[in-house]
Amino acid sequence: MNRITVKIAGPAGMGIKSAGLLLAKIVTECGYYFADYSEYPSLVRGGHNTYQITYSTEEVFMVDKKADVLVSLVKDHEEDRVNLWEIPLPNNIFANTVAIGALMYRLNLDKKIALKIIKERFGDDGKNLEAFEEGYEWAKTNFKLKTSNLKLKNEEIDNGDKKMIMDGSEAVAWGLVKGGLNFFAAYPMTPVSGILHFLAKNQDELGVKVYHPEDEIAVASMATGASIAGGRSAVATSGGGFALMTETVSLNGAMGVGVVYIMGQRPGPATGMPTWTSQGDLLFTVFSGHGEFAKIVLAPGSIEESFEMGQIAINLANKYDVPVIVLMDKMICEGATNLNDLSKEKIEIIKSSKIVPGQGEYLYNSYEHDEQGFSVEDSDGAKMGMETRLNKLEEAKKDCPKVLLLGSKKSKKLIVSWGSTKGTILEALRGRDDYAYLQVKTLWPINKEIGKIINGFETKILIENNATGQLGQLLKSQMNIEFDKTILKYDGRPFFPSELREELK
Amino acid sequence: MINIKSQNIPTWCPGCHDFIIYACILQAVNKINIDLKKLVIVYDIGCSGNMADFLKVFGVHSLHGRSIPTAVGIKLARPDLTVLVVGGEGGIYGEGMSHLIAGARLNIDLTVLVANNQLYSLTTGQTSPTTPKGSKTKSTPKGAPSIEVEPVGLINTINMEAQAVHVTCLKPMEVTEAIVNGIENKGFNLVDIDQLCVTYSKQLQS
Repeated sequence: MNRITVKIAGPAGMGIKSAGLLLAKIVTECGYYFADYSEYPSLVRGGHNTYQITYSTEEVFMVDKKADVLVSLVKDHEEDRVNLWEIPLPNNIFANTVAIGALMYRLNLDKKIALKIIKERFGDDGKNLEAFEEGYEWAKTNFKLKTSNLKLKNEEIDNGDKKMIMDGSEAVAWGLVKGGLNFFAAYPMTPVSGILHFLAKNQDELGVKVYHPEDEIAVASMATGASIAGGRSAVATSGGGFALMTETVSLNGAMGVGVVYIMGQRPGPATGMPTWTSQGDLLFTVFSGHGEFAKIVLAPGSIEESFEMGQIAINLANKYDVPVIVLMDKMICEGATNLNDLSKEKIEIIKSSKIVPGQGEYLYNSYEHDEQGFSVEDSDGAKMGMETRLNKLEEAKKDCPKVLLLGSKKSKKLIVSWGSTKGTILEALRGRDDYAYLQVKTLWPINKEIGKIINGFETKILIENNATGQLGQLLKSQMNIEFDKTILKYDGRPFFPSELREELK
Repeated sequence: MINIKSQNIPTWCPGCHDFIIYACILQAVNKINIDLKKLVIVYDIGCSGNMADFLKVFGVHSLHGRSIPTAVGIKLARPDLTVLVVGGEGGIYGEGMSHLIAGARLNIDLTVLVANNQLYSLTTGQTSPTTPKGSKTKSTPKGAPSIEVEPVGLINTINMEAQAVHVTCLKPMEVTEAIVNGIENKGFNLVDIDQLCVTYSKQLQS
């Protein structure tokens, strides 16, 4: 075995994710790499929550769908009676820790490390340690020989400096902070609330003014005001909130004021399925805002790239004084992995050259305007305003992240995708050289070079986590690219490696 | 004397009460002897907001209804600035009502001047949040269906620490004084300024 997948399930409120993250911390400390995935309905108590983790001695890009071990905190997962162990769990908040204890034995993980992590996490009150021991001892006495196969074969276990557990929300927040963020506003919305929570909690230490206003319109307006006042601002939202912010995206374009919009997608339309994942807002985002103006849309393909995109976005927003949207989704925002300590990273900060209060009279104007900011309606003035705005896009193009192309010279077939599908694609293509992979990182402005790359392959395959193949539509409209095959998934779930392997046989 | 008039000639109708508010702002700025490097004016959309082009100060001509949150963002980022908001009752009591309430709750240091003429005038005379109930306007030929907003009472109900005064363009000295008081008072200040629209107010009497 070179990777192990564990799934923990139970009703909301029983600490499913908390137990899962404890396990993640333990495997990380043991030296493994991991990826995780949670499913939960939009409610506070009850329902059915799961946390799934795949860990390995090599980097994990996406969890496996099939779990090697399922831990259920309630008696409703009894399909497989043969390998079922009924651990006597207490009917209290320590049930998940007892389960983790039993799991440590089952997974042959280092008990000392587990105890150390539990102590760090819960302090020295001893009750969690007792609960852990109870589970571990029970497993030791009751699990029989057939369990011994659950051990990773590779003996070299070393994830180096990648010892920090981080989700995409925290990673993108660190990216923004390292890129000089000093004003952040947001209205709570899944899946981006984690960004608000992280920045609000650490605002003094990070030097970021954090505010939660009355609605998303105010969020975007305040970020614009803060930016005009000389700040470096960002907001975070999902589709519904972004719909309200689009008037301000347009305003930023008109005024030449940089604001970063973190846009964490979830399935729509309308309220949709708030706690599930989707890539359904690509075209909405790319074409957001009335009128014609320059905007930049970036999409990280992993948690690690969220950090990179966060700092690139805030630098681009300030270098070109344009709105920059970072398109993420639930998979990346709420999924965690082990990374190096992002708080130690150093990033160059590119300052805005726009006029701020104290530097003289200038009018930031939502109307078409001249160089002083005063309104114009004459033909030449209107033309110049439009051209000044749109020219920025051509300039910005050279600074936008380039595509990632992976594959060998033998590859005749090309897979094209954007955003979080990258992880599953990398898993599905492990050990294969018949496919190359192209990740589009900048979704607007579209770099025409992409067309040349794609057209150099015999077979072109598009993979997207939406129903209408939106990147395909965009590439078709911009460069007349046709795909030979389109693989789409739009049930609120991400692609799993086994599903793509089947599709790409 | 501080002169902050821009080179642009006001485009308001001859006799428009916005000229009075414009003059009162110029007077107030001189009375306080304000540091222009620390003054920002945020304008809403409407006839009164068009003042953006007629003043030469650091200004922001924002979107309809969004002048207050834009000003709040500026003030949160730069608490040392004096921030003035100029808008009409359409933007501030209509489209932006939730922002007015939020600003008063926060009691953030802003002075919000509302040119209240009981009509949407730039869009040629439709009912506004302060149009008397029953008034016939272009958008309410059968009479305005809602009771009107009472801004001073509203702010007092929301937050007793926030200030709200009602003045009228018929008494310009009081308007100037209210603006001065607003700038000097460190908190949320609403100055509701009663005015007539020389072009469309007459339809309210019919």
